[in-house]
Amino acid sequence: MKAILTVHNIASDLVTSVWTPVFVGLFIAIVIYALWPRNQAVFDQASRMPLRED
Amino acid sequence: MQQSQCTKWMTHGEAGLMLFFSMAAFVCAFAAAKALDAPFAFHASLAAVASGVASFAIMNRYLDRPASLPPEEINGKPNYNVGPIKFASFMAMFWGIAGFAVGLLIASQLAWPALNFDLPWTSFGRLRPLHTSAVIFAFGGNVLIATSFYVVQRTCRTRLVGDLAPWFVVLGYNFFILIAGTGYLLGVTQSKEYAEPEWYADLWLTIVWVVYLVVFVMTLVKRKEPHIFVANWFYLAFIVTIAVLHLGNNPALPVSVFGSKSYIAWGGVQDAMFQWWYGHNAVGFFLTAGFLAIMYYFIPKRAERPVYSYRLSIIHFWALIFLYIWAGPHHLHHTALPDWTQTLGMTFSIMLWMPSWGGMINGLMTLSGAWDKLRTDPVLRMLVVSVAFYGMSTFEGPMMSIKVVNSLSHYTDWTIGHVHSGALGWVGFVSFGALYCLIPWLWDRKGLYSLKLVNWHFWTATIGIVLYISAMWVSGILQGLMWRAYTSLGFLEYSFLETVEAMHPFYVIRAAGGALFLIGALIMAYNLWMTVRASEADVGTELALQAAE
Repeated sequence: MKAILTVHNIASDLVTSVWTPVFVGLFIAIVIYALWPRNQAVFDQASRMPLRED
Repeated sequence: MQQSQCTKWMTHGEAGLMLFFSMAAFVCAFAAAKALDAPFAFHASLAAVASGVASFAIMNRYLDRPASLPPEEINGKPNYNVGPIKFASFMAMFWGIAGFAVGLLIASQLAWPALNFDLPWTSFGRLRPLHTSAVIFAFGGNVLIATSFYVVQRTCRTRLVGDLAPWFVVLGYNFFILIAGTGYLLGVTQSKEYAEPEWYADLWLTIVWVVYLVVFVMTLVKRKEPHIFVANWFYLAFIVTIAVLHLGNNPALPVSVFGSKSYIAWGGVQDAMFQWWYGHNAVGFFLTAGFLAIMYYFIPKRAERPVYSYRLSIIHFWALIFLYIWAGPHHLHHTALPDWTQTLGMTFSIMLWMPSWGGMINGLMTLSGAWDKLRTDPVLRMLVVSVAFYGMSTFEGPMMSIKVVNSLSHYTDWTIGHVHSGALGWVGFVSFGALYCLIPWLWDRKGLYSLKLVNWHFWTATIGIVLYISAMWVSGILQGLMWRAYTSLGFLEYSFLETVEAMHPFYVIRAAGGALFLIGALIMAYNLWMTVRASEADVGTELALQAAE
């Protein structure tokens, strides 16, 4: 697998080994942020944003 | 007094754009003179004339305007910029009717081939991309630009950035549509589905799109609200991703800078992969993310209810973003594309079902506590039915992406039925609903000219959609089954022509469905026209009607 150290091999290793967990981690962080109880008040306000009149 | 004291100067934008368009007029006129083919000469001449007109219009506007630009706020309230939004809304209605009418014509051509008229310009092959581009990019695109400019201003409580830039976006975009559409009729195409425009139209769209992105982002940056409303996230995803897709799918080398023909940088299966990475994400980010943004603003506003679950909106937004970009290979099942790539596309398409339904649930449940309004408000009914169609087609799509199902459905009318349940039901209805809300707001009318006409539009179009999609389902499955039917001796049971003949009744039903959809849009155009024309005194009738219903 790692026999030849070429730019292509290093790049493809990086894509397969780093980006998948990075994206999964990022998504988990977003879910935690969305479900964090203290953020509820901000989200409640935000959900009413279209209803506000100037 | 103050105005007479301050000297009037051209802004950098005005001077710069005048210089740009004056130079562009000369360059385009030169290109027209040197053109190697007639369509290129025509397009270069159009661009030269348009550049000249633009230059003249900027000067005229400068001479007419007061010394200072419109203020950011009037009496402490944001001074919203509605001019470009009005224009884009008008163009949306115009291109919508044009696109639906061409759709009806090509549907009729399939039922009665004589309607091709044996002319190159009216042949199915040239009119089909005209139809798809007119409804997706011209109608849908103008709706998205109009609503995005409206929503970003309202939810950020700030005036749109730029003086000429928003006008450059709406006018430039519609000029792109003109070049693309006339190009198709004249036979100019790079033969990539939904990316047919040739290199020079692509370059122009790139410039327009970058300005669109800058206007949108800079308006977000100077927002007065600390929180960026979810609809703006969807709009931003739409604008950014379309830019990436457009650049990724269109790197082409023109044969000559004075000719329309170009060749794409890569060929074969790589090109196919790029094309459907583009094609499917055009569905995902143009026809889904953009219109979900409309849903998140217009349904709460019309129903006078908050977004059902703001948490769900965040989670399903990011799930859509992370998943959609991988789903493209499902368009290339059972082709030369590596098998693992097909499976990857299928897997991600199936996973997409969840975030899609997250959006549908959020849209529908926003009506909790206001369901009774569906009885009295046909505009809200249109918006809600659009979300129901969204749910239907985002269930059907993942199902069709499964390889076994796809082996039956691929290349058949089932695909056309699926696309139209999304396009007519979801994108069409959510756009109609948004325009029915937007036009009275933009022109400061208390309501629409007639809610009864909206009701007529709703039912005519709904029956049209049902006829359309049910005809295509039956036709598609029949077609797929006939193609794979074998005799006991292993020969194909039906010749190709027999399968074509079997489609005929369904093509007639489909054309009838399309005709109803077009009639609905004409009713809408009349209603909106009368709304804009109505004076304050006329508005009372609609309110009285609303109370009576």
